[in-house]
Amino acid sequence: MSSREENTGCEQSVDAAPYVLGALDRDDSFRAHLDGCATCRAEVSELQLVVDTLPATVPPVLAPRALRERVLATVRSEAELLRAAGHQTDEPPKLASRRRSRRGPFMTAWVAIAASVALVAVIVLNNVGSTAPVRVTVAQVAPSISGAQASLRQADSRAELVVSDMPQPPLGKIYEVWLSRGSTSPQPTDALFSVTGSGSGSVNVPGNLHGVKEVMVTSEPLGGSSRPTSSPVLRVVLRA
Amino acid sequence: MQLVAAGDANAFEIVLERHADAAFSLAYRMCGRRSVAEDVAQESFLALWRSGARYDRTRGSVRSWTLGIVHNRAIDALRRSSVHDRRRASAEGLEEDIEAPERTDSQAIANAVSDEIRVALGGLPAEQRRVIELAYFGGFTHTEIASMLDAPIGTVKGRMRLGLEKLRGHLHDWEAVGA
Repeated sequence: MSSREENTGCEQSVDAAPYVLGALDRDDSFRAHLDGCATCRAEVSELQLVVDTLPATVPPVLAPRALRERVLATVRSEAELLRAAGHQTDEPPKLASRRRSRRGPFMTAWVAIAASVALVAVIVLNNVGSTAPVRVTVAQVAPSISGAQASLRQADSRAELVVSDMPQPPLGKIYEVWLSRGSTSPQPTDALFSVTGSGSGSVNVPGNLHGVKEVMVTSEPLGGSSRPTSSPVLRVVLRA
Repeated sequence: MQLVAAGDANAFEIVLERHADAAFSLAYRMCGRRSVAEDVAQESFLALWRSGARYDRTRGSVRSWTLGIVHNRAIDALRRSSVHDRRRASAEGLEEDIEAPERTDSQAIANAVSDEIRVALGGLPAEQRRVIELAYFGGFTHTEIASMLDAPIGTVKGRMRLGLEKLRGHLHDWEAVGA
């Protein structure tokens, strides 16, 4: 037993070190114990300062540029949605429950926006580093993948579909992008994509979107299909 | 961070630029695979963006808060992966896996504080350094480490604490890290 343990007077202080190292099981009771034990809180606070220095021992590696771009694309889209949603998203509804939300204002706004994803929002952004505006159209999401988010970003003649929190396509399947001009069957594209383990991804939508009324995504066998074999999971309705 | 919490994407971009390399480096050190590290870093920064209001500067620097999120996300990823992958990631000496052109400029990154920490960690008794690395970088729980090392859980916890306390004794300038 170290002199420190003798001094603390709390036998659970032995869990402070594994706690700050992230080595306790997630359902461990030590977290609850901390709420009522000033001794252990002080121990954790001191050891946490040490643990915070450990990343400095890691060999430095450059973060991939594509990673930064993906993160920023999502953040800028969400920031514009927040702005477009306005301050009223931060206000409680007039017939709100008496239960107080534990979410902060930003999260409240975020939830409000997430709920509105079923609708279609079109926002024109300033494209950093370019004179061309970026037109962002939020996709409608099928109930089968509720929780997913997607938007089509158009700048100049290019269009990119950006998705997040989207489930992996079923085993042996891949997501395929389709263009619908309304009067004819959806046209297949060679835009096939999957998503990362975190559910994010992006794909360039090829071809001219002139006259296209909807950009759709279905789940298709690997290699893609010439005709949709399943219902769309994403649908982006474009304005004329 | 107040601006980030208010949904300012430009403010977030500054945070991302300042901490992306450190976040990715930690994720890569822990996960051992670039694709997984990218996922972890991406999830972490989006979580940071969406929870900026929770940042409390009285409890540490933005760097520490960011890397704390990365660490938790990486642990989640490791605990979803196979033990084999985790053993590999927690092994020492991942440097050989890093392509030279990917390295950041050591002159820009290295500083006296990180050198001091590295030396202090390397100077710990092997059994203490091992449990700290298995826990922090490998994402193993104390019970898993006890099983791997065939040691009592109490011994593992004791080694963790002794190691951290020795580090604390060595690191008189830790407050500067991440400032």
